[in-house]
Amino acid sequence: MRESLRTWRFRYIAAAGLLWLAATSACAESIEDLRDLSLDELANVSVSSVSKTRQALSDAPAAVFVITHEDIVRSGAATLPEILRLAPNLYVAQSSASAYTITARGLSGDQGAVDFTNKLLVLIDGRSVYSPFYSGVFWDMQDVLPDDVERVEVISGPGATLWGANAFNGVVNIITRRSGETQGLLAVADGGARERSGGLRYGGRLGETLTARIYLRGYDDDETLTPAGARAKDDWWRVQGGFRLDWAPTARDALTFQGDLMNGRISALRGGDTLTRNRNLLARWTRTQDDGGSLELQTYFDRSGRDILLNGGRFSIDTYDIYLQHNDAPGGKDDFVWGGGVRASRFDTTGNASIYFKPPQRTLLLANIFAQYGWAFAPSAKLTLGLKAEKDPYVGTSLLPTARLAWKPADPLLLWTAISRAVRSPTPFDRDVVEARNTIPILVGNSGFRTEKLTAFEAGTRVQATANAAFSVSAYYNLYDDLKTLGITPVTIIPLYWENAIKGRAYGLEAWGDLSLAHWWKLRAGFSLLHERFRFARGRNGFLPADQVGNDPPRQATLSSSFNIAQGIFLDADFRYVGPLTHPAVASYCELGGRIGWRLTDQLQISVSGLNLLHKWHQELPTDTANQVPRSILAGLKWRL
Amino acid sequence: MAPLMRLASLVFLASLGGGTHAADLPLEYAVKASYLYKFAPFVQWPSTAFDTPTAPLSICIAGSDPFGPALSEAVRGQRVNGHPIVVRRVEAVRPGLTCQILYVGGEDTSAALQAVAHEPILTVTDHNRSGAGGMIQFVMMAGRVRFSIDQAAAQGNGIAISSKLLGLAVSVNR
Repeated sequence: MRESLRTWRFRYIAAAGLLWLAATSACAESIEDLRDLSLDELANVSVSSVSKTRQALSDAPAAVFVITHEDIVRSGAATLPEILRLAPNLYVAQSSASAYTITARGLSGDQGAVDFTNKLLVLIDGRSVYSPFYSGVFWDMQDVLPDDVERVEVISGPGATLWGANAFNGVVNIITRRSGETQGLLAVADGGARERSGGLRYGGRLGETLTARIYLRGYDDDETLTPAGARAKDDWWRVQGGFRLDWAPTARDALTFQGDLMNGRISALRGGDTLTRNRNLLARWTRTQDDGGSLELQTYFDRSGRDILLNGGRFSIDTYDIYLQHNDAPGGKDDFVWGGGVRASRFDTTGNASIYFKPPQRTLLLANIFAQYGWAFAPSAKLTLGLKAEKDPYVGTSLLPTARLAWKPADPLLLWTAISRAVRSPTPFDRDVVEARNTIPILVGNSGFRTEKLTAFEAGTRVQATANAAFSVSAYYNLYDDLKTLGITPVTIIPLYWENAIKGRAYGLEAWGDLSLAHWWKLRAGFSLLHERFRFARGRNGFLPADQVGNDPPRQATLSSSFNIAQGIFLDADFRYVGPLTHPAVASYCELGGRIGWRLTDQLQISVSGLNLLHKWHQELPTDTANQVPRSILAGLKWRL
Repeated sequence: MAPLMRLASLVFLASLGGGTHAADLPLEYAVKASYLYKFAPFVQWPSTAFDTPTAPLSICIAGSDPFGPALSEAVRGQRVNGHPIVVRRVEAVRPGLTCQILYVGGEDTSAALQAVAHEPILTVTDHNRSGAGGMIQFVMMAGRVRFSIDQAAAQGNGIAISSKLLGLAVSVNR
């Protein structure tokens, strides 16, 4: 069995390699590529993330992968982490029914050493959802109605100059559709033996230039098994509702108001559920100037909280954020972006016997200004220089520069290279935390904790080989300094404390491509390699070996197929291989997901979808911190009016 | 290894085929050109607009033409409700013009729009402050090509625009 699996795996990797050599970018480049787009898709051609200016994905000098609306709906993915599994430049691993580790380019941390994954910036419609508490994302608190998502832009590599201090190893930008594009009634329900979800959305036009939608969504997931095979009691549910209003009072102005309410409950093995909640409200105003420039002003309020019922531990964070950005196109070819923002996060914690914060309340103020100039010094080449100054609440001001060069020697070919610097700013979890056992502090925050630093060198290419095949390859070399580690108090050993004692480097390769074999059959392959090497800074050592900063798979591969069997019948399959983890060890694994959708009428669609079909249970993360991941099969119904 | 070889040859063949790119338009105009023929299924013309059920649906381009031959190539072989789509370049717009969709390029649009003000023709222009606007006007918004719709003007000439298209519009003048 093992032997045959290995042979199969080799075949798969060889095939994936061939495919990415041939393989179609998610972007439409020429009028022929636009032919297959629907009107809605046409209205959204452009990629905003990388340069924050109007720029086609095909010209973006960065490793960008776009998960499209169609990818999401056809995959049958019901939660954000499962949607993110579609991006070949992310590593997604599930550790319990509700918890995931998600990173780009390594540094996933060590859950066992409570060094959580914390180097990704995640935005939902412009609202930052990583927790200012520890820089990581509570994935069980983030939700969207998959049918309302326009696209997810996944940028691997630093985006700090434009996006902020936590865009360290990647940016995930989740963009929902404007309410004008989600008109009418939609009801979706998916149910299986392990998980159930349902959603209801209604969109309408309230005025000549005003559209709106409201939605309600629920998700319920059963418990998993512990590595030993016992019931893990980690079942959970979440209910979320919200609205979005889009108003264009003039041809030049666009206003968006949106908000969400979420409540959830997660069971725990030792009893004592965790209650989660989020409320947020966002307003954004975009003014387009006749010369092609634009001005964007955005503000939001976000209140997130978690209560652990067993021992009274709880926290709540209120975030107020405002940001302004101006895009300009001097001389028509160049682009100039400048802006700035301020974010105030007020956290309020109630500690318990095992974890508390000193002080328990604090206001964290984060401010930044940035400017970026893209100089088209030759018809086919552009040099982009950017600088951001960011003031974080603990350390002071960090300068985050970037230089990117894009060269298009021929239209279907883009070559790019970049050097950037990024930091992860200290958080209360690095500075103010105390973890105790029997009232004895065993792990404490460190008031001397500094920013973690990255200098990244990247290069890549994107090729539209033919009208039906395109691929992207990116390589990177990351130099890290002052990475977070567990230090030891001399003589007494405890309390352990956080310090910046690890240096290191990582290099790797990310490649993906699409191939349309026919208009009814598309294949996509993705592949990534990662090599990390870390060491303690001179004269330092730690409680754990230097690989504590990341237990990451050295290679991953994906292969997916979208097949239209007949008019209105869709068959999708996605296969993934994830390489082994070394310390603690987890074996490599292969898994398969799939979905058959059948559009019975314009209003009604039925489907059967499956996650993790190859194994009844499999382990994705170390057994000391993670449960097993189940196979799940769902029947679905989608009705629209 | 046989399946792998088969796959490899398939990939090789696929990369040889296709690949004839039309003269490349800037993305903004490629999107506008695509809109021009993708609007058609969402628009209902009065029966007088077509001579026969299989008569061609004409997209006429007047004024400055940013699309060139790319648009004609893109619509080749495409049909809307049985009507093959053709693209025509029109030098002078006069009343009685037999087109279903008329795009008037450039700033100076008033004369052309005036000439077909009472024809069952869906007029399309770019948004500009100086010239007059068509029933559909392209507007740039947040880096995307969007459009506003003058539904009142369309209805006045017997053209019905579907709610799907109206929903996508940035603004609708009813």
